[in-house]
Amino acid sequence: MRLWPSEPFGQTVAILAIAYLLIELGIPYIPPLFGLASAPAPDSVVFQYMLTVLMGVLIWVSDNEERWRAFKRPIQRVLVEEKRKPIRVALLVLVPVLVAFIAFDQARPSLSAPPSFRAIHPAPPGSMTFRDRTIPITGLENPLRHEGRLEAHYEEGKRIYYRNCLVCHGDLLDGQGPYGPAFNPAPLSFQDVGTIQQLTESYVFWRIAKGGAGLPNEGGPWNSAMPAWEEFLTEDEIWTVIIFLYEQADKTPRTWEEVAGSEGGPQ
Amino acid sequence: MTRTILLAVPVLALASLSTTAASADAQDQELSLGKDVYDRWCAGCHGVDGAGAGPGAATMLPRPRDFTRAQYQVRTTGTGELPTDADIMHVIDVGMPGTAMPGWEDALSRDEREALVAYLKSFSRFFESGPEPTPLEFGSAPSSSEATITEGARLYQEIECWQCHGQAGRGDGSAAATLDDDLGFPNYAADLTRNWLFNGGGAVEDIYRVLRTGLDGTPMPTFSDLIESDIVTDDQLWSLAHYVRSLSPARAPAVREVITATLDESELPSTPDDERWASVQPFYVPLAGQVIVKPRWFSPRVTNIWVRALHDGEDVVLLVSWTDPTQSPSSDPDWASFAQRVVDTMEPKDEGSTWEPGAPDRLVVQFPQTLPSGLERPHFLQGDARRPAYLWSWSSEEDRAVEMVAEGLATGQQQPDENQQLSAVSTWSEGEWRVLFRRPLMTPDIAADLQLPLATAVPIAFQAWDGDNGEAGKQNAVSTWYFLALEEATPATVFMAPVAAFVLTAAFGLGVVARAQRRYTEAEERAGQAGGA
Repeated sequence: MRLWPSEPFGQTVAILAIAYLLIELGIPYIPPLFGLASAPAPDSVVFQYMLTVLMGVLIWVSDNEERWRAFKRPIQRVLVEEKRKPIRVALLVLVPVLVAFIAFDQARPSLSAPPSFRAIHPAPPGSMTFRDRTIPITGLENPLRHEGRLEAHYEEGKRIYYRNCLVCHGDLLDGQGPYGPAFNPAPLSFQDVGTIQQLTESYVFWRIAKGGAGLPNEGGPWNSAMPAWEEFLTEDEIWTVIIFLYEQADKTPRTWEEVAGSEGGPQ
Repeated sequence: MTRTILLAVPVLALASLSTTAASADAQDQELSLGKDVYDRWCAGCHGVDGAGAGPGAATMLPRPRDFTRAQYQVRTTGTGELPTDADIMHVIDVGMPGTAMPGWEDALSRDEREALVAYLKSFSRFFESGPEPTPLEFGSAPSSSEATITEGARLYQEIECWQCHGQAGRGDGSAAATLDDDLGFPNYAADLTRNWLFNGGGAVEDIYRVLRTGLDGTPMPTFSDLIESDIVTDDQLWSLAHYVRSLSPARAPAVREVITATLDESELPSTPDDERWASVQPFYVPLAGQVIVKPRWFSPRVTNIWVRALHDGEDVVLLVSWTDPTQSPSSDPDWASFAQRVVDTMEPKDEGSTWEPGAPDRLVVQFPQTLPSGLERPHFLQGDARRPAYLWSWSSEEDRAVEMVAEGLATGQQQPDENQQLSAVSTWSEGEWRVLFRRPLMTPDIAADLQLPLATAVPIAFQAWDGDNGEAGKQNAVSTWYFLALEEATPATVFMAPVAAFVLTAAFGLGVVARAQRRYTEAEERAGQAGGA
């Protein structure tokens, strides 16, 4: 039994089929090789890759005159020959039906959620009030880093985190605590590279103290389930939690020197 | 010959001594790794001393495991016996569904998890001596059929599972209000219609295993003794497991952002029990404890609701259903004391709690008061002064629903009677509330009521209270915003597009075929002429 077709048309079909299988089933295996979570390719990406493969194959078949003619032969046969009339008729019916179906799907009114645009880390104000006291945000460092024992702050921050934050942000600090799935947007994951690692400690302090309700409009304050922790915790308690977050997630905060260096980059 | 043996003896003795020393060393190393992992990731809930009372413990019900008692719920060994290492590893890997315990398989390495198992065992002397515990023989699941389900249902009655779990399995049995775990904390009887929350897993094999081993430390007993004394057969117990599995959906429900109200131009159902509801798609909405403003609530009883919606172009009907073991306030005094025990058990005790025995069950369906033009909408906890929320508020006390306007959680003001266009019908049966809301899409009260347009995603959110679980005021279960979309009759223009697409494509196809055939005939003729010449 010979599996590989000898004619260019059959070969084209086979190459496209293999490429599709590789893209659809093979891509999810790549991220785990680098220790990341597996993710299938989205349909639009699959479509793009397939288009690229198709272009490549077409260039190859049309590259020499003889192969191009050989490629067209089976197509011509279906279009012309009397004994292939059933295939011809079937294609003439099925292809328009498929196109009509796609057109219907596009034209049908769809009831989808409006897109939600949300700045995850909106620009902070220069200063904030914490229970009537004005605290500058720009240039502010975590005062507890130079005061007392770091381990003691970590332990205190841990105690506060487990009593207050765990239900949403979770044991793994990945935003998947027991209540995480019930909230949209999902609680922030501190394990992601794009979160606390990109932020200064004073920014994190501002977000914790003011919570969802204290977000500017571009942050979507009406959706956030983050409490305003100034109602529950003291300044020092919040600073200890911040020490715990960075330590437990094994991340380092952004420093003000880095912020100054990158001028106007994301805070 | 003799000399070699004589020589070999001390050499062997030495070798065995050094292996003992080496293995003791390896054991120390493993325990020290286990302690590092435990102190960093587990002690926050289970406590540095393993007694299950870390800083997070008091906000959780059920409480974290106390390892010093060596009592484990999820085992393959008989009741009262120690778990195997693989049993402990299994729970570390997959966590405990329905509780705060996550799975650690992806977060910790195999070595770390193995060291953790060794360290957890070191909290109790019970593991030090005695033979390795032996797992029970389980066999594999026989396939499920109508007959096994019927047999399982019969056994459910015979061995009185309903005492705690209730007739429909919703954890509403007559004894449910009296349940404690071995440490004296109130214990919820499992809701058997939500297998994705089962302690120890929701597959039929997991259910069977729990029936055989019990959940030690909780009131869930073992039924292995019934097999040993020939009262039931192993196959019958498998049938019971299949029956219990059949009470839950085939797959755990998924969250969908848009709740669709289907257009139904026949008469809309007027009762929650109308059989037409069975053919309406249910939408799953998870709820979480209100932990955002004081007083917070960390032990909500209603952890999800189901929503079904229909409209006829004039009115919309919304059927909301959820598991709740009682019609609060229950006439059974045990439930009042159960609620009191839950309240006493839970931390933190923020100021402002308004719960008292006798509190009703409540459900709020929430909308923005006016349809937002942009992205802005009220805060999902009943809005604020700038963006008020418009509520449909139902209470089991009066068994009716009223329209309210709120500017923050628990600030709802009832609209005047002449402006009430909302009606509600509710039923409670076998541990389930079903509340049917009905309101005209458009009301004369344009300023205060949200008008419901067709084919538009309208923000909608939900809040629920179980009075017999200590919930009232701001202490409840909440969702964030979802959307309600009223389906529109498909406009005729929609059918034009596919027809046009079909005609154009078919015409193009016919053109291509005709052209190819004409060329072919011409080429043949030419070839014929050339041959002739």
